[in-house]
Amino acid sequence: MTWISSVVTKYRRNINVFLALSICTILILDFFGINQYVSQGGLASFHAPFSKIKHTIEELSDVAIHNVELRQSLVEASLRLEELEEMKRENIRLRSVLGFDPPPGYSLLPARMMSITGEKNGISAVVNRGTNDSVAINQSVINQRGLIGRVMSVTSDYATIQLLTDPKNRVAVRVASSREMGIVRYSLSSGLIVENFQVQGRIVVGDLLLSSGLGGIYPGGLAVGTVTSVERPKEEPFCNIKLLPAADFSSLEELFILRPNNL
Amino acid sequence: MKILPYIFYLLLISAHMVILKDATAIGPATINLSALLVLVVAMYKSEFAALWFGLFAGLIASIGDPSVMGWHALVLAAIGMSAFHAREKLNLDSIYAKLLLMLSGLFIHTVLVVLINQRDDFFYLLWSSVLPALLYTGMSAWLFFAIKEGRITFRKLKAIF
Repeated sequence: MTWISSVVTKYRRNINVFLALSICTILILDFFGINQYVSQGGLASFHAPFSKIKHTIEELSDVAIHNVELRQSLVEASLRLEELEEMKRENIRLRSVLGFDPPPGYSLLPARMMSITGEKNGISAVVNRGTNDSVAINQSVINQRGLIGRVMSVTSDYATIQLLTDPKNRVAVRVASSREMGIVRYSLSSGLIVENFQVQGRIVVGDLLLSSGLGGIYPGGLAVGTVTSVERPKEEPFCNIKLLPAADFSSLEELFILRPNNL
Repeated sequence: MKILPYIFYLLLISAHMVILKDATAIGPATINLSALLVLVVAMYKSEFAALWFGLFAGLIASIGDPSVMGWHALVLAAIGMSAFHAREKLNLDSIYAKLLLMLSGLFIHTVLVVLINQRDDFFYLLWSSVLPALLYTGMSAWLFFAIKEGRITFRKLKAIF
């Protein structure tokens, strides 16, 4: 054994070189298909862990990209949904408008509200119809619920509406059931009220008030409001009557201008 | 010879091949890390370390292509041995001499690898891939020697700012 040890020590370098060359030769000549095994072993032990890391990083990167895309899609979908919801609401409104007949002798001109002015209550509103659409001053404006106001001024493309909630506006009305008359105006403190209605008059809470057609501006038969309270003070000639407007002035959108047919 | 550092170097070669190669590539130029590490080992370690590390580095570097695995192992083992003997016979105190030896080794390795893998497109690959890779790896080698020889230190870097 000693001589082997001495030979190994003496020819250590040559043995190493011979071994390395032998391994290379075996691999070059691919004896017994050994390269395949070496390759598989090397891939499994050296490359596989890093491949996993790389795949994980790529997956995380993909997830981040997908996350950004999904967020963008979510925002787009939310906007679309909001748009559809708005269209749905508009659809419901327009459906309620369908079949809405104008008073005899008038035709309806649809108009869309552009803006409204007034702080506590709306005083006037601008709509997208003007003299080009045969709109004229003092034409009545309504929606499917009731009276809105009258055309106060008009240009070629736009018209300004004096709303029923303008304190300067007055409407001659009649109780739908009793046919007794009064004048409706808007009070900043009390809301819509009826003036000049005698204490002996027949009116109760829940009565519907319609425009009477007197005064020459508003045609008769347009819903103005419903009575919410009636007070009959003693020693005073007129009742204190409050009304709930037939139209909702806080959500005006589609309006109709009443154009006389004989224009 | 302690084998742990060499296993770490082999893992570094694997990591470079799988993950870092694309990330550190500048155009067509990539770092030839396997040859770089074999030459560094040959310059600073023993003959046996250079021989065996060169052989295993060649195997790892060509692990995905079993048909040329033996050639790659032989080339890197031979380059490791040759670089070791060149270091022994030449005065390699100068960083430029080391760099020259490094560039020579890298050039021979890259040319031989191209000859082994794609003999037909040799001249095209020489201009488009081998020389850019050689420059890139040479710069990395210079950086390595500059840090190892103390020419670039943290204190000097700090002094710049």
